Amino acid sequence: MCGIAGLIAKERSDLGDDLVNMLKELVHRGRDATGVALYEQREDIQARITLTDPSFEKDLHQIIQNYGQISNSKIYKGVGIFTFFEGSIAMDPEQISQLHWDIDSHPNLCVHSLDNHLKVYKDQGSAEDLVAVHQVDVGACTHGIGHVRLATESVENINFAHPFVSYLYPGLSLVHNGQFTNYFNMRRKLESMGVRFKTANDTEMAAHFIAYEMKEKGKDLESALHAALDTFDGIFTIMVATDNQIGAFRDRLAFKPVVIYEQNGGMVLFGSEQISLTPIISDVYATEMEPGGVKVWSV
Amino acid sequence: MVRLNISGMPTLEVNRKLRELVQQEDEITVENPHSVHNFATALKGKARITVEGSTGFYTGGFLQGPTILIKGNTGLYTGDNMGSGEIIIEMNTGSNCAPSMVGGTIVIKGHSGSRAGWGMKGGNLIVCGNVGLWSGKMTLGGRIIVLGKVGTGIGESMYDGVIHVLDAEVEDKLGGNVTVKPIADSEKKEVETLFKKYGIEQSVDSFRSIVPKVYGRHDYVMFKPTHRKRAEV
Repeated sequence: MCGIAGLIAKERSDLGDDLVNMLKELVHRGRDATGVALYEQREDIQARITLTDPSFEKDLHQIIQNYGQISNSKIYKGVGIFTFFEGSIAMDPEQISQLHWDIDSHPNLCVHSLDNHLKVYKDQGSAEDLVAVHQVDVGACTHGIGHVRLATESVENINFAHPFVSYLYPGLSLVHNGQFTNYFNMRRKLESMGVRFKTANDTEMAAHFIAYEMKEKGKDLESALHAALDTFDGIFTIMVATDNQIGAFRDRLAFKPVVIYEQNGGMVLFGSEQISLTPIISDVYATEMEPGGVKVWSV
Repeated sequence: MVRLNISGMPTLEVNRKLRELVQQEDEITVENPHSVHNFATALKGKARITVEGSTGFYTGGFLQGPTILIKGNTGLYTGDNMGSGEIIIEMNTGSNCAPSMVGGTIVIKGHSGSRAGWGMKGGNLIVCGNVGLWSGKMTLGGRIIVLGKVGTGIGESMYDGVIHVLDAEVEDKLGGNVTVKPIADSEKKEVETLFKKYGIEQSVDSFRSIVPKVYGRHDYVMFKPTHRKRAEV
């Protein structure tokens, strides 16, 4: 089933908490994993990486030291078997993509986020489990997207959970409710163009496709989403965030829900169900997105 | 007249209590509903139930007889398979309200979501606000009245029944197999009676009706097996 939520709100002080509260209301749509992607107003490059075992920290430090210096790092155990690394890296921003892929090439490491705005927190269980173990300690945020997962298409592993990022465009994050029926064809096509995959989750393909359209073909978010709508096959309601935009699009049969509420002050709320908007505004009439619709909001 | 506080009560218990009370009382007031799902499903009787708040999914499903007045919102699938009686909602409902409804009346004073009244077979659905996409989809009978804006694909693949609308731009939003025509005088009287009963102040003259182009089973060629003659020896 899966549930998605999103929020653009520059004036709210604790956007991380707000998004987690929205996901708490969607717990009935999936409790295999929960994740949030938050966009902070900071400039230093921060990484969040999982390790299958704390002993791989040495390997991770070795990889990162080829690019820059680690500071303020911490390492802690997640809800399940994974260990999390979090820290700042002083490095050349041009090399983020390369470092991202170098870490992902290690079989025991996986990047959840590596960017100067984006931070992704995802772990198994519900939103309550997520905040019980992870300190979602983000600074002033402008926007964010979130997801609760009911695993259908690939293994139940937190590296396969949403939000997904792409090493091609480190500032892009994506959440998806649905399934792709042309995943293998699309994956082969992207791999033939030189794109490398970390997981076997169908949503990773969507993240790489949109990142490829934007970075390699130079499209803006809206035209990349139109290209994705024409290319993807199956059931999908997708939200994509970059450091200054949130875009949403939906398949032409509109199988999976998304409701949107735009307030006059510039605040925009997204959710799979109306109830997910209630922690922010108690009673609003949110409208459903059109089938085959593509829309982009600037932050 | 009895007051029932259902705060923290499990749904099964709520419905068991209501089923008992409907047989004994004429007026039931429900306090603290806290958006309980499956509220008043399969309820049979003649009582009037007033809910002081919002209810959740499948409110009043399989209802037979009672009048339910909800002073808040309801979730999706309100009045699912409703047989008779009334559901009056003072605020909005979620999507798919009145699906496969057979009889009775649902009045929504606010807005409704997508697929309002889909697969309806009888009864009346009145929405004072807007409805979402594909409302009245695959309707088999009954009457839907929308006072506000309609979403795209209204009346998609209707078999029978009628949708009365005020929306001036409805021609751009029609689904397949439907057409728009002016409201008939006999229909005006029926709609006027409904409006008077539920206190809706709206002139019926400017309404238009959405009806199917082809009633009943759509053009469909049944498969006929053809026997190939044996070659003569």
